[in-house]
Amino acid sequence: MSEGTPWRRIARSHELMLAVILAGILAFAGWRMPQFLAWDGQLNLSRQLWETALIAMGMTLVVIAGGIDLSVGAIMGLCAIAFGICHQSSQSVGLATVACMLTGIGCGACNGGLIAITRVHPLIVTLATMAAFRGMAEGISQGASYSRFGEHFGRAFAGQGPFGIAVGGWINFALAIVLATVLSRTRWGRYLRAVGGNELAARYAGVPVERLKFTLYLGMGLLSACATLISVARFDTAKADAGRGMELEVITAVVLGGTSVFGGSGRIGGTVLGLLLIHETRLFASRYWRIDELRQIVVGCLLIGAVAAYQALKREVRREK
Amino acid sequence: MTRQDRANDPGRDSGDGSGNTAAGGAGSSRGSSPGSSSGGTSGSWYSVRSTWRSPAGGRELGLALLILAIAGVVGFHDPVFLTGVVWHDILVRCAPAIIVSCGVMIVVVLGDIDISVGSIMALLAALLGRTLSSHELQWSVWAGVPLVLLSGAMIGCVTGMLVTLGRVPSIIASLGMMTLLRGFATLAMGGKNIDGLPEAVVHASKTGWFGIPLGPWAALLVVLATYILLTRTALGVRIYATGSHPESAGNAGLPVYGLRIFAFCYAGFLTAVATVVDVPRLPKIESGIGSELELFVITSVVLSGVSISGGRGRLSGVVLAVVLLTLVRPVLTFLSVGEAGEKWTKAIHGLFILLAVVSDRFSATMDRRKKSR
Amino acid sequence: MTPPPVLRIERLGKRYGATLALRDVTLEVAVGEIHALCGENGAGKSTLIKILAGVVRPDSGSITVGGKPLRFGVVGESERAGIAVMHQQPTVFPDLDAVDNLFVGHEKTRAGGWWLDRSAMRREAEATLAALGESFPVDIPVGNLPLAQRQMTALARALLQNCRLLILDEPTASLSARETAALHAAIDKLRQRDVAVLYVSHRLDELFSIATSVTVLRDGAHVLTSPLGAIDRAGLIQAMVGRGAAEQIVDRARQGDVAPSHPTPGRPMLCVERLGRAPTFYDVTFSASQGEIVGMAGLIGAGRSEIARAIFGIDRYDSGSVVVDGRRLGGGSVREAVQAGMALVPEDRHCEGLLASLAIDENISLAQLPRLSRWGFVRRREERAVVGEQIGQLSIKLGAPSDPVHTLSGGNQQKVVLGRWLSTTPRILLLDEPTRGVDVGAKAQIHHWIRRLAGQGMAILLISSDLPELLSLCDRIVVLRQGRVAGEFRRDEATAAQVMARALPDNPLPGIDQGILP
Repeated sequence: MSEGTPWRRIARSHELMLAVILAGILAFAGWRMPQFLAWDGQLNLSRQLWETALIAMGMTLVVIAGGIDLSVGAIMGLCAIAFGICHQSSQSVGLATVACMLTGIGCGACNGGLIAITRVHPLIVTLATMAAFRGMAEGISQGASYSRFGEHFGRAFAGQGPFGIAVGGWINFALAIVLATVLSRTRWGRYLRAVGGNELAARYAGVPVERLKFTLYLGMGLLSACATLISVARFDTAKADAGRGMELEVITAVVLGGTSVFGGSGRIGGTVLGLLLIHETRLFASRYWRIDELRQIVVGCLLIGAVAAYQALKREVRREK
Repeated sequence: MTRQDRANDPGRDSGDGSGNTAAGGAGSSRGSSPGSSSGGTSGSWYSVRSTWRSPAGGRELGLALLILAIAGVVGFHDPVFLTGVVWHDILVRCAPAIIVSCGVMIVVVLGDIDISVGSIMALLAALLGRTLSSHELQWSVWAGVPLVLLSGAMIGCVTGMLVTLGRVPSIIASLGMMTLLRGFATLAMGGKNIDGLPEAVVHASKTGWFGIPLGPWAALLVVLATYILLTRTALGVRIYATGSHPESAGNAGLPVYGLRIFAFCYAGFLTAVATVVDVPRLPKIESGIGSELELFVITSVVLSGVSISGGRGRLSGVVLAVVLLTLVRPVLTFLSVGEAGEKWTKAIHGLFILLAVVSDRFSATMDRRKKSR
Repeated sequence: MTPPPVLRIERLGKRYGATLALRDVTLEVAVGEIHALCGENGAGKSTLIKILAGVVRPDSGSITVGGKPLRFGVVGESERAGIAVMHQQPTVFPDLDAVDNLFVGHEKTRAGGWWLDRSAMRREAEATLAALGESFPVDIPVGNLPLAQRQMTALARALLQNCRLLILDEPTASLSARETAALHAAIDKLRQRDVAVLYVSHRLDELFSIATSVTVLRDGAHVLTSPLGAIDRAGLIQAMVGRGAAEQIVDRARQGDVAPSHPTPGRPMLCVERLGRAPTFYDVTFSASQGEIVGMAGLIGAGRSEIARAIFGIDRYDSGSVVVDGRRLGGGSVREAVQAGMALVPEDRHCEGLLASLAIDENISLAQLPRLSRWGFVRRREERAVVGEQIGQLSIKLGAPSDPVHTLSGGNQQKVVLGRWLSTTPRILLLDEPTRGVDVGAKAQIHHWIRRLAGQGMAILLISSDLPELLSLCDRIVVLRQGRVAGEFRRDEATAAQVMARALPDNPLPGIDQGILP
């Protein structure tokens, strides 16, 4: 590879660019408010990250395969309602957990089946199921909210794990390692990139495109169910509006992480950095300026800015070639 | 050949070359004419001979029949549903969505997408309240309203420039704008609700003329203007051409960037129009205004058969789709007394799109079988 | 006193990385001239066209159109200068009807330039098409029209916009002979209207019948320019390849004096029984044995590629069966076909073959991954071995195996797709137009491989529109007509005339192409 200015090297690696920005923000934050970097405080605030992270990592794979899943938030709503109703009628957390998981798998299978069989663009299918699932959750629950699932459940899914990191955090670490391995070392990772790059050619090359897609969206349903459990345990409440806005937050993180929205390329590491960047920026913006709305403004600017900068640098590199 | 032709275009749908909901597989009406017998071309059996120019196609017919059927069934169940009061209400409710959809549809026909309209509406509503309210700046209507309209167009212009000059994919640019503008809207509201808009504005929005409020009048005007723009002017042809094949459009010397920026501008402007005509109807302005507008609008556009990969779609379908989706909530209220039914609105919306998706697929397959002899 | 040339290219140079795509190319095209541009793949023709279209910016040199210098790298500038480029797949607007296609960007308007004058545009569109000798409905989306009519739409657009220089890039590669003749007639009409034409084609016969002069490029450099009357076929080929050997192989093959690949075919490997998929093909029955090359001839649209797709499991079939080595396949599953030992090298390299999102080595090993992985994990060392073997065997020229595929030239990309399937050591190889758009040398190389593979005992189904190729390579030829088997010939029975006679429809339907094979 050619030498080149640091800028060009950064442009070649999106992760490096994100890491530099993240380090800059953390350095600035540490300079202005030294207590911001305290490990305990960071750990405590990281709890709100875990549900999003879980789904974002799954979404990375979906986007790499050229798809998108807008229905994740709605699946969370439906799963939460399934959990609540099952718990109310049986008073058993175990049974409710199973119901929640089954609902997630069912929704995922519904998405995957429709996408694989009708071959309609996933954006449209999941737009439809997003409305359908959320509507079902609202219609079934009629605005009711369920709570008091017991301390045991709370501890199992939102409690403290080893090293002071929440259970959700450990689930995330495990998932990140598994998915990153799948993506880089297994043939399924190859297939994902192949389908995302050129679906027709992938089909000609014997890639089981339909099965792959079905599995992906099924997996998204399952991850959404897991995220629901963590979120329900954290708030000790199950409502139809669980996971509202989740889809956009997750897609923001994935895209910020350098995964191509057109499919074909992307990494789990990028998504993790994207998530951290959004998380830290939000935390700092809201704690330093003490204005809550700034979080949204900063995240919006970050998303547009990072993608625009990346596009500009990419063009620059191409021109120099 | 056609299949490859389509697959060549970046950003086209993947899969077997079928357009989005208008699933392919039909090709030419002449069964075995060379070159088009394999792979999908465009549209289903009903749209083989109709371009975007024709006023209506199979999808429009289906939507219209569905609306009539629903009205008939509910009217049979409860004749009150067929009275003027109910339809007056439906008309007023769907007016802002129709206005915004006209803009978003053009964006989608050009192959982009705009999911920031809801946040634009929130920010503009805040701007409207801040400038006109008797508790705030107390500007004249003739200064405040043009400012709001201009701001809407400017915001759209910014999104358009990000998408074209900044090369940020439109879904990301408008997602970022959506988050960002919602933040600005909340900031602009300053944590309180605004009321006390000038009497003239409120009157126009609530009562209007000849018994119909400003909203439906404006919607009628916007639909007419957009229809003429799309089918009777050179601009319309160029918009469809660019959406159909952006690369050729560039080679043919069409101002592709200009057209796309114009579309976002127009969508922003129409969002401002919708804000001005609809927001004063509400008792007070809050920061949550328009929070699900973008989804509603995109859902209508998709339901109407506009291809999300660009180049295809009719305005008549968009209007009918908005009416159909708006109809769901009052119908549910009528069928089951009280709030219980209303909560199912979204589920029905989702069902409609799924129905459209599956029926398209089904008709494409049936068409292939039918051609066998 | 001759008028100034429409196009003058002077000392044009373009470098991609280490390769010189164009070196000091100089070229002139005069008014009313049909100028042929020849050269092997990679000779620099496509780079030249891209520069003229304004897509690529050259490093040096200048271009003047009608005496005015052309600004480089500005999209739309070429059209403004009067240059129209038509590719093999014409770039029309598929969702627009022919009228809009012809006029978009230069619409006729009334009332101060705002209101479209549709009736005037429609009249003029029909008149323009009639002038080109065509009449088809102008109010249906052109995406629904056959390829030939889409090309005519593009030509008519060029004519309407007073183009001065028309560039045609392999316009006839997918056309039948009748459509080609119609296209040539239309081009001639354009010429009479003082349009200069730059015509790029691999089909030399065509060039001799239509062009007035020829320029040959080789390895990015200008080799010769001469009136076509002053050069013969052999001389032209000599200039293109710069070596005589490759063409000799092809010529000998064309005369059919090469020994059959395998005198006694082994047991039947692929038996296709009454296969049907509405509305493209019905009741197709044929078989291929070990070491046998079975050709499939037919007009474009006769359903040949679709049959290959159905056999390979990409499309489902409605009726019939596919039996591989005595085992019946369920259909609709590529995986099953691959496991049965089948491989398909598709017709369209970019859409159906290559995966731009994967590296070269990943592209080659893709079909092999189930065998190259354990518990889903790809075994890199074995993958490297397989990839290395294919790269060596097919002599693919590349930088590093982990480079992106777009760094390869067109011919090498085709080899990557071929290598992907050869590495699976298939027992049945389906080849769909393997030599379309390939230059003479590479064509001979591919023919050599096909013979060698059959000699190793592979059953090969060769779909081709190149009749001499089929006649020289195949042990048997199956002829398709309108989706049905219209005849089958053994090698010693088959003549070009007989095959063509069977391929033609007996009672032509409106809209069905009646051309003969190119």
